[in-house]
Amino acid sequence: MRSFLAAISRIVRKDLRIESRSRRVTTTMAMFALLIVLAFAFSFVKTVRNPAVLGRSALWIAFVFGGTLGVTKAATVEDDDAALDGLLLAPVDRSAIYLGKVTSTSLFVFAVNVSTLGATAVLLGYTPTLRTALALLGVLAVAAVGFAAVGVVVATLTFRAGLDELALPLLLVPLVVPVLLAGVELTAALTAGAPTESWLRLLVIYTAVLLLAGVATFDFVVEE
Amino acid sequence: MTVDTRSAPSAVRTDNVTKVYGRVTAVDGVSFAVEPGETVGLFGPNGAGKSTLLRLLAGLARPSSGTITFGGVDLVPGDHAVHRTVGVVTHESMLYDDLSARENLRFHADLHEVTDPAARCEAVLDAVNLSGRASQYPSAFSHGLRKRLSLARALLHRPDVLLLDEPYTGLDQRSVADLAAILDGFDDRTVLLTTHDLDRGVGRCDRALVVDRGRLQADVDLGETSAAAFETTYRRAIGVDDGANGGVGP
Repeated sequence: MRSFLAAISRIVRKDLRIESRSRRVTTTMAMFALLIVLAFAFSFVKTVRNPAVLGRSALWIAFVFGGTLGVTKAATVEDDDAALDGLLLAPVDRSAIYLGKVTSTSLFVFAVNVSTLGATAVLLGYTPTLRTALALLGVLAVAAVGFAAVGVVVATLTFRAGLDELALPLLLVPLVVPVLLAGVELTAALTAGAPTESWLRLLVIYTAVLLLAGVATFDFVVEE
Repeated sequence: MTVDTRSAPSAVRTDNVTKVYGRVTAVDGVSFAVEPGETVGLFGPNGAGKSTLLRLLAGLARPSSGTITFGGVDLVPGDHAVHRTVGVVTHESMLYDDLSARENLRFHADLHEVTDPAARCEAVLDAVNLSGRASQYPSAFSHGLRKRLSLARALLHRPDVLLLDEPYTGLDQRSVADLAAILDGFDDRTVLLTTHDLDRGVGRCDRALVVDRGRLQADVDLGETSAAAFETTYRRAIGVDDGANGGVGP
């Protein structure tokens, strides 16, 4: 178990170090998310009077499309020069490789979502209370894990099978619809002070299912 | 995991290994054994199935049928025991361009849980003559330097068996000489290399296995065969008539 956790930690630290130098994943995601928020600002600020509606719409659209780009870029790190083969040749459980990649990808997606939340406050006037904002960060964190859990599998499958990168969103987006749905509804409920239990339960359970499915299938995805 | 109970197990043994991708049979019922300390070349033209066979041996692909053993231990992709004893160099370096040469090696040394990883990284960097470039990034390396760093990565965990896929491809003469000198230092290891370069392969190997259309066509002891006689055997094995259908290799 100690060796398993150490392998996850090594992969995460490696990814964080690479990202701190290249900024390949976070810069691409952040720019794309910012463009979406800006598009919302230019298109809807004068016509949609409720900043909460505008804010959550921009936030979750940026989450899905920015996240898709981020997952693609994160998988590219392992696809370049067959770096993933190097991981597969190491005496490390393949589920540890998967969980390491999910952890680092979640961190990148979450970090960009936090900055997107900030951008919606500045550009769209969406300013939740501190308590709501903290709860929303929790929702974004769980959603980021769910998104990365399926994203790592789909992106790895896309690259290993030699499919075009365009196939990735086609495979990924349908699988993250429940995450998106729960995220949007939770954001609305948190802002309005309405009950959140059922949507939260859906988000957490679906994320757990995605993680378990990823652990169970990653071995088959990477194998020729 | 099962253990081969036959006496003195071969370093590497394949029994009727077949790999099918859809309708294509890339490797078709290949059986051979490599004894400890032997250097064996897998020769064959492009598309013969050499690289697929090497990926099967490396555990990067699973045979459709047949078995592979290392020292009598069955190879199961993802199985730690075999991965600890095999070092692999393929066409791709498996390195990260945003980590320095030393950081790349340290990452892999940690994954392999090498004892005293820092010292081991310096030792393999020295072995492949890259100590002076340890802080540089692989993106700044030539193809030959990347190949050397890739070899260093493969040697980190002191493998008993080295699998090298086309080690000379894309290297200039000096890089080939450098690589040959480095490999000379590992004569105690079992080495299995693929190549379509007859001259270099014959000079390096004790034995030659000729593969074509996914099948093992010939098994030649190079200690008892001249280079010219092997070339004739090779041409016949891959179905190229002397002079009639052009030369061998690329």
